[in-house]
Amino acid sequence: MQEKNILEMKGITIQFPGVKALDGVDFSLRAGEIHSLLGENGAGKSTLIKCLTGVNRMDAGKIILDGKEIAPTDPGNAIELGISAVFQEINLCPNLTVAENIFVGRQPMKHGQIDWKEINRRASELMSRFHLDIDVTRPLSYYSTAIQQMTSIARAVDIQAKILILDEPTSSLDENEVQLLFSVMRELKASGMGIIFITHFLDQIYAVSDRMTILRNGHLVGTYNIDELTKVELVTKMVGKDMDVIFSLKRSEVAPDAEFMLKAEHIGDASKIHDISVNVKKGELIGFAGLLGSGRTETAEMLFGATKTVKGDIYVDGEKILIKQPFDAIKADIAFCPEDRKRDGIIGDLSIRENIMLAVQSRKGFMKPMTKQEQTELANKYIKMLGIATPDCEKKAGELSGGNQQKVILARWMAASPKVFILDEPTRGIDIGAKAEIQRLMLEMCGQGVSVIFISSELDEIIRCSNRVVIMRDRAKVTEVDGASCTQKDILKIIAEGAA
Amino acid sequence: MSKKSFDISSLMQSKVTWAVIAELLILLVCFLIRPDFFSISYQPSTGMLYGSLIDIVNRSAEITIISMGMTLVIALGGTDLSVGALVAVAGAIALKFLRWDVLAYPTPGDYTVCSYILVLAVPLIVCALMGLFNGFLVAKGGIQPIIATLILMVCGRGVAQILTDGKQFTTGYSPFRFIGQGSFLYLPMPIIITIVVVIAVALFTRKTAFGAFVESVGVNPNASKLSGIKAAGVILIVFMITGLLSGIAGLIYSSRIMSNDSNNAGLNFEMDAILAVVIGGTNMSGGKFSLAGTVVGSLIIRTIVTFVYYFGIVAEATMAFKALIIAVVIVLQSEPVRKYFAKRAALRALRKGGMKA
Repeated sequence: MQEKNILEMKGITIQFPGVKALDGVDFSLRAGEIHSLLGENGAGKSTLIKCLTGVNRMDAGKIILDGKEIAPTDPGNAIELGISAVFQEINLCPNLTVAENIFVGRQPMKHGQIDWKEINRRASELMSRFHLDIDVTRPLSYYSTAIQQMTSIARAVDIQAKILILDEPTSSLDENEVQLLFSVMRELKASGMGIIFITHFLDQIYAVSDRMTILRNGHLVGTYNIDELTKVELVTKMVGKDMDVIFSLKRSEVAPDAEFMLKAEHIGDASKIHDISVNVKKGELIGFAGLLGSGRTETAEMLFGATKTVKGDIYVDGEKILIKQPFDAIKADIAFCPEDRKRDGIIGDLSIRENIMLAVQSRKGFMKPMTKQEQTELANKYIKMLGIATPDCEKKAGELSGGNQQKVILARWMAASPKVFILDEPTRGIDIGAKAEIQRLMLEMCGQGVSVIFISSELDEIIRCSNRVVIMRDRAKVTEVDGASCTQKDILKIIAEGAA
Repeated sequence: MSKKSFDISSLMQSKVTWAVIAELLILLVCFLIRPDFFSISYQPSTGMLYGSLIDIVNRSAEITIISMGMTLVIALGGTDLSVGALVAVAGAIALKFLRWDVLAYPTPGDYTVCSYILVLAVPLIVCALMGLFNGFLVAKGGIQPIIATLILMVCGRGVAQILTDGKQFTTGYSPFRFIGQGSFLYLPMPIIITIVVVIAVALFTRKTAFGAFVESVGVNPNASKLSGIKAAGVILIVFMITGLLSGIAGLIYSSRIMSNDSNNAGLNFEMDAILAVVIGGTNMSGGKFSLAGTVVGSLIIRTIVTFVYYFGIVAEATMAFKALIIAVVIVLQSEPVRKYFAKRAALRALRKGGMKA
């Protein structure tokens, strides 16, 4: 490893209205190293990256690249300076071919025309450098997310970048694809490129990086060699005291004679689910485990009326309920925190206050409005209770970090005081601290007698929180296991083999 | 101090502020050229106030009324192209009822064939139903609003023609004349009707949660539905309101000319209404809306037209002139310009505060 710093950022400070997003943060990157940037959501990772790619302006501090002070004005300028970034959401055109995506905007020309042969040849060459033998003339949408991600990286690499920023590149990749990405990263590193790697997966940090820099609440915690910190030390540094919360979580205690709050008998929708029965007792937390597409989300959507239930019966608190649309479910005191926060949950252009009051208000109907003061009181109550990081309740919800947006959606439903709360992947894409808090909140609600259905792909949190685990496979319920006595292995075995 | 500077900067960031500034600037230019532009006189014979300012508000009535509905449609992320055609439909129906059979009642005069209630109620009901039809296509059919309303935009005038057998009826019925040409409290009736409509829409949207629901559906229909909002119902109501308001505007329009004019009544009203909404600061992509801003937007459009007439600028140049001023207003409201001025205002306030301290 070379010791020369290719990039130095000194005393970076960025002020947003009401908050200091970064406060005098130092960061350095050597040529030929993979440097992980760590911190919870809202710690300032993205802000630091945006500062480097010219999206955010610094209020103080300087950036030195290759010995020269630079001030990127916009992403285009940053690329010219040799700083390329690949983000979690893939910023490519799915309808163009792989080759076109790599070369769009800087196509090699021949006789005043685009040299397609050259484009395709160079694209194949690039992709084969990544051990990918694919047809680059096919549209990008033809390929898996992993290959799309690789295309994104190929594009960044071909722009002769000195620094490559990978922001959560692995969140939608499977294990093999992650390994492929890592081998590409190692090769790029060997060629002298500096790579900044951002991820929520701790194992991946240890697998691939040389050094790590930890941020917390806009402050620098420190920069460490990878062998200096153990995982537990790392997490403690990242989240401060939040780790204690996770370890202190206790499963809800359900009275043995508790009545069933929600009973769904032999329900099915028009296309995918044929026959599912679930029930939840008062104050009980049921985990739904299973692979993506196993029918977890579809079942939840039926219970909430987001998709139509064509057969079977649903009872809430002993009463048979006909659920045709979400409104009916809300009337029956069911709440639903959807999987896709951006698409189905948060209403980005509206304020936190409006987002929180929405479910309460829609239940009342628009003719019985809450006054602005009532809304503000409601919003402030939950901002305080859930610790939503915001200067006030009038901030646009879309401007919050992922974890805080999720808390806003939880607040929306908690305000409606539901009897049954269905949460579909509430902890996806948010950091450990916020995850722990959301799990704590779910369990607290159980303690207050709310019945919770918790869907998650992360088995450890399912096992940690659930009283019972419903295991789903191929759009049907396989079995139920006791949450207290089962292990991850048991569940995985059932998911894989389809039998108890 | 910091609180005050923040307030100024947020005020300067608001599109409505800029719309008001633009309107005041245009009026200032008018005043500089002809100081008597602002004079208002009382005409005892009609019991009405006269003057350019009154005229601006009076003549902007149809667009202001329609654009109240258009604001809600645009807040939902849509547009309603059919409003101009509905103006023609309302006029045609009203005149049809005033003189059911032109051959039997060849001379127009101070009479009505059907009861006056029908003359007013039927056009409004039909327009509301046509609005409902638009809403149905959008909410239940999932058709893009611009396409769904194109249907009535094209065929509405045809319907109007059929209703009146392609003829232009005229009338002299004085209660009908009162709508567009009468006065109440010294003000022309269209102004009174506009005020009532604006207040009614404002109360309906802001004193209930309807406005918040419209904004929510406009920003994210999926999430709104999953929060229990019946999005289809909201869409239906908004399009129905817009249809009804177009009907009211149609009655005012036909009362002004005491006739129906299926070809020209409400022509290009949809464009003016959309423009009024956009100048007023409501984003075409949906979300937050401002009724007050829309009223100012509508006034700006009418002020420009009045300006052109008043100063005897050749009629051929009217359109170009209107376009020019609107271009300036839109640029003034564009995000970079607003941010620039907001930043300057904040800096200035900060500096002032610093000196005092």
